[in-house]
Amino acid sequence: MTSPGDAAPVKPPPSFSPGVPRVASKTRYPNQRRDSSPSLNADLVNSRVASPPPPLSSTTSDLPIRSASPLTPSFRSSTPQLARSSLGSPVDGRFEGSEEIRSLIIRSFSPVVGVYASADTDELVRQKGFAGGFWELIRPFGENIPGKLVIRDSVGASRSWEDYGVRFVGLGNNNQSPSELSAGRSSPLAHVEEVLEKQLGSLDDPLGGSLYPKDFLGFPSTSPLYKLYLRQLLSIASATPHETFRHPVASVIAISSRNSAPLESLRRLYADTNNGDKKVPDWINPEYLRYYVLVHDEDRDDITESTKLYDQMKRHFGLHCHLLRLRSNQCVVTDDDSVQVPECEWLSPSERLFGRTEPLVDLDTEGLPHVFESDVMAIKAFVRELVAQSVVPYMENRVAVWNDQVASRRRGISGRFMSMSRRWAGFGSGSRSSLTSGGASGNYDVAHGYYRYDAPEAVLRKMADFAFMLRDWKLAASTYELLRSDYANDKAWKYHAGAYEMSAVSLLLSPSSTGTKVKIDGIDQLLETASYSYLTRCSDAPNALRCLTLAMELLKSRGGSAVESAARWAMRVMDQGLVGSTGQGLFSERISACYAARSAVPGMNWGSRRRKAGMWSVFAADLWLRLGRPSLASAALEEAERLYADVLQGDGAFPMPEMQTFIDNLRHAVKVEYLEARGLDTRDEAATAAALGTEETSEQLDRRKNRKSLIMNPLDSGISPTQGMRDNDNAADDDFERA
Amino acid sequence: MSYYFTILSPTDVPLFNIAFGTSKSGGDGIARFRFPDTAQYMNQFIIHSSLDMVEEAQWMNGNMYLKHIDTYPPASAYISAFLTPSGARFLLLHQPPQLPSTAASASGTSGSILGGSFSASALGGGSSRASASSVAANPTSPQTEEAVRQFMGEVYENYVKTVMSPFYRQGMEIRSSVFRSRVTAAGRKWL
Repeated sequence: MTSPGDAAPVKPPPSFSPGVPRVASKTRYPNQRRDSSPSLNADLVNSRVASPPPPLSSTTSDLPIRSASPLTPSFRSSTPQLARSSLGSPVDGRFEGSEEIRSLIIRSFSPVVGVYASADTDELVRQKGFAGGFWELIRPFGENIPGKLVIRDSVGASRSWEDYGVRFVGLGNNNQSPSELSAGRSSPLAHVEEVLEKQLGSLDDPLGGSLYPKDFLGFPSTSPLYKLYLRQLLSIASATPHETFRHPVASVIAISSRNSAPLESLRRLYADTNNGDKKVPDWINPEYLRYYVLVHDEDRDDITESTKLYDQMKRHFGLHCHLLRLRSNQCVVTDDDSVQVPECEWLSPSERLFGRTEPLVDLDTEGLPHVFESDVMAIKAFVRELVAQSVVPYMENRVAVWNDQVASRRRGISGRFMSMSRRWAGFGSGSRSSLTSGGASGNYDVAHGYYRYDAPEAVLRKMADFAFMLRDWKLAASTYELLRSDYANDKAWKYHAGAYEMSAVSLLLSPSSTGTKVKIDGIDQLLETASYSYLTRCSDAPNALRCLTLAMELLKSRGGSAVESAARWAMRVMDQGLVGSTGQGLFSERISACYAARSAVPGMNWGSRRRKAGMWSVFAADLWLRLGRPSLASAALEEAERLYADVLQGDGAFPMPEMQTFIDNLRHAVKVEYLEARGLDTRDEAATAAALGTEETSEQLDRRKNRKSLIMNPLDSGISPTQGMRDNDNAADDDFERA
Repeated sequence: MSYYFTILSPTDVPLFNIAFGTSKSGGDGIARFRFPDTAQYMNQFIIHSSLDMVEEAQWMNGNMYLKHIDTYPPASAYISAFLTPSGARFLLLHQPPQLPSTAASASGTSGSILGGSFSASALGGGSSRASASSVAANPTSPQTEEAVRQFMGEVYENYVKTVMSPFYRQGMEIRSSVFRSRVTAAGRKWL
C-alpha cells in the first residue's frame, strides 16, 4: 500500500522527535507508546500557550481540553481518551493482553473453600471491625496465594504457578444462593449490566475517573471496563448441580482460643457440616476435606494454653490443622503497622450492587478496613499452608483415585463395551423409538434434574473439574469427552451443555494442542452444541453467555485463523440478544479487537483484518453514542481511525461516499455530545470552529502510527512526495472534514 | 435475495454501484436489504471490510472468480468477488430474504445497525414464494456459485468493452447508461 504517512520524517510530530528510536522493533513498542502519552500532554500544554499555529500532535479527544481551558487540569486527569490513546498497537495487544485475559479466565476457575467458624471466632473477628466474621477477614487473602505453587498432574509432571488462588465462601451461603436466585428479583445478567452502568456513571463524572488512570499506568491493551465485565460474568456462578466448580473442595472449621470447650465445639461444627443445618444438598459430594483452625487471640489469651490445645487438636484430627495467631484489637489507620485489606477481586454482581454500597459512598479511610501487618502475615502464611499442603494434595489425590477407580474403567475396552451395550440395551427389548429409555443409565433424577453425588457420572464430572482447577487441562478434556455421550443418553441437557462447554474450554487452554485448523473446527462444533444446549434446551442465558465469551477470548488468544472464529462467536452473542445495551457496545469493541489481533502475513501487506476491525470500532462508537456515552464513543472512533489509517489512501478519506457521510456525521455527533456533556454551549460558533479545526490534526497522529507500522513491514516502502507536500500544508486537505 | 454490486478500482475507489433484487421465482428485481433505509451505508461498510478477504484470497487463488469469500453474519450478507487483470475488483453482496420467523426473533435485539430490525412487512411476496431449489434460498450452494460466476463473466465482458471506449480514462467512474442497463440485464438473467 502506498503510504501517506511516510512523509513523517519530513515533519515529525513534535512530541516524538527526540530520543525515540525511529526503527522500532516490536518489543520496544509498548514502552514507546506509554512514553508518548505524557509527552503528548506536555505538548498539548505548549500548544495551547503558543496557540496561533495549529498544533500538530493532538487527538480528537483533546478538543474538550482546549476549548474548555479554564477547567483544563481536572479534565486532563480524567479524560479517558488520552489514556486510551496510549492503547497499544494490535501487535502488543495480542501478546500482553491475551495473557492477562487468559490468566483471568484460569483464575476464575479456582477451588472453593468453605468457611465455618464458631460463634466465638466470629465474635473475635468482629471486634477487629469485620462485620462478616472470620470469612470476611480471610476472603481477600485467598484470591492470590503468595509465591509459587507446585502442582503435579496426572502423569506426574510438576508445574509451578504464580497466580494460584482459592475462593473462600461462607459454608451457609453456598446452599442458600441457588434458591435465593431462583426466587430472585432479576437475572444475574441484568445485575452485570447494572454494575457496568454504575461504574460508567462514576466514570463520567469529571473528577472520579476511577477506571482509566489505572489503564494509563499498567494495562496497555484491554479496556478495563471490559475486564470488569468479564470478571463479573465469570463470578456470577453459584453452586449448581451441573458443574462442581462452586462445590466446596475443602472447608475450614475454625474455633478461637476463647472457646471453653474447644474439642467439643470442633466436633459439633464438624457434625453440623455433615448432617446439621450446614449439610450440603444431595448433588454436592459431602466428602470434602475438613481443615481445623485454632484462632489464637494474641492480645488477650495465653499462647502456652493455645499451643497445648493445638497439640491436642493435631493428635485428634491429624495434619490438617493450623494455629492462626491474630490480634483482637481493632486496627486504625494511624497505627504504625496498619495495612489495608486488599480488595476482593471476585465479588459477584449482586454483592457489588447491594453489599458494598456504604463503603463506596464513604471516604477511603472507611472504604476497606485496616488490619495489623502481623495479622496479614499470619493469614497469608495460613492460607498458603492450607492450599499448598492440604487442598492441592487432597485434590491431586482425589483425581488420581477417581482416575483409577472410575475413569480408567470407562476408558478401557471393557468400559467402552459396557457403555455401548447399555446404550443398545433398549434395542432388543423394544422398538427403536424406545431408545429414550434404552440409553439412560437410570442414575439421572429426571424429576429434580440432577445426578446424586455418588453416581459415576457425577464423580467423573467432579474429577474432570478437579483436574481443570488443578490446571491439568489435558486430563480434564479427555474426561469431559467421556462424559458427553453419557449425558446425552440421559437427556441431562444442562450437564450435557456443561460437558461440551468445558471440553472446548479445556481443549483451548491445554498448551499442547496449538491450533491446527482441524482442531479449531472441532472446537467450533463443541461450542455450537454447548450453546445450543444451554440456550434452547435449558434457556440458561448466563451460562450460554459465559460459554461463548470464554470461547471468544480463548480463540482470540490463539491468534491466526482462530480469531475469525472468535469474532464469529462474539457476533453470535450479540445476535442472540444475550447481552444488554452496554454489553453490545463492549462486544462490538471486542470484535474489533479480535480482528485487529490478526496480523498481516510476514513481509506482505495483506492478511490482516484492519478494515473489519475498523468497521466494528465504528459500530461500537455508534452504539456508545446512542447510549449517551460520548466519551466512550470518541475513544472507539479514535480507535477506528487508528485501525483504518493503514488501509485508507492519502488524506484518510473513505473512498465510498456513503461511508464517508456516515462517519462524518458520527464524528460530528460525538463531538457535539461530548461538548454538551462537558457543559459547553455548542451553538457557540468559535467552539465549533475549534472543534473542526482539531480534526485534521488527528490525522497527523494516524499518519505517524501508519509510518511505524510501515517500518515493521519492509516491503511496504512507497513514499509519495505529494503526501509530504500535503503534510506541510495543513490548510490544504480539508475535503476530509467538510462533508 | 437482494444484491449490491460494486466495481472497485485498485485503489479502492468505487467506479460503479448498483443495487437490485432477484428476478427469479417471481421476484420484482427491487432490492430489499435488511437494513432500514437510513442505514444503506451498511452495504458499503460490509463491502469495504471484505476487501481484507479479497486481498488475501487473490494471492491464494489463481482464478479470476474468487467465489464466495466473506460473510457478515449479523445481517447474513455474503460477498463474492471477481478480479480483473487490471486490478479492478467486482464485489457482489447478496443477502437472502429474511424469513418472517427469523424476523420476529431478531427484532428482539436492539440496534438496527446490525441488521436486526427490519420489518417483515417490507418483504415482497415474491421472495417468500422462493422455493428451496432456487438461487435465493442458499447463498453458499454450488448453484449460487455458478450463477454468480455467470453473472460476473457477463459483467466482465461488458466492463472490458466499456473501459476500451476512447472517452474513458482509467480510474474514472463508469457513467455509461448502456453498461448499467447491461449489468441490470445480466442480473435479471442469472440472479
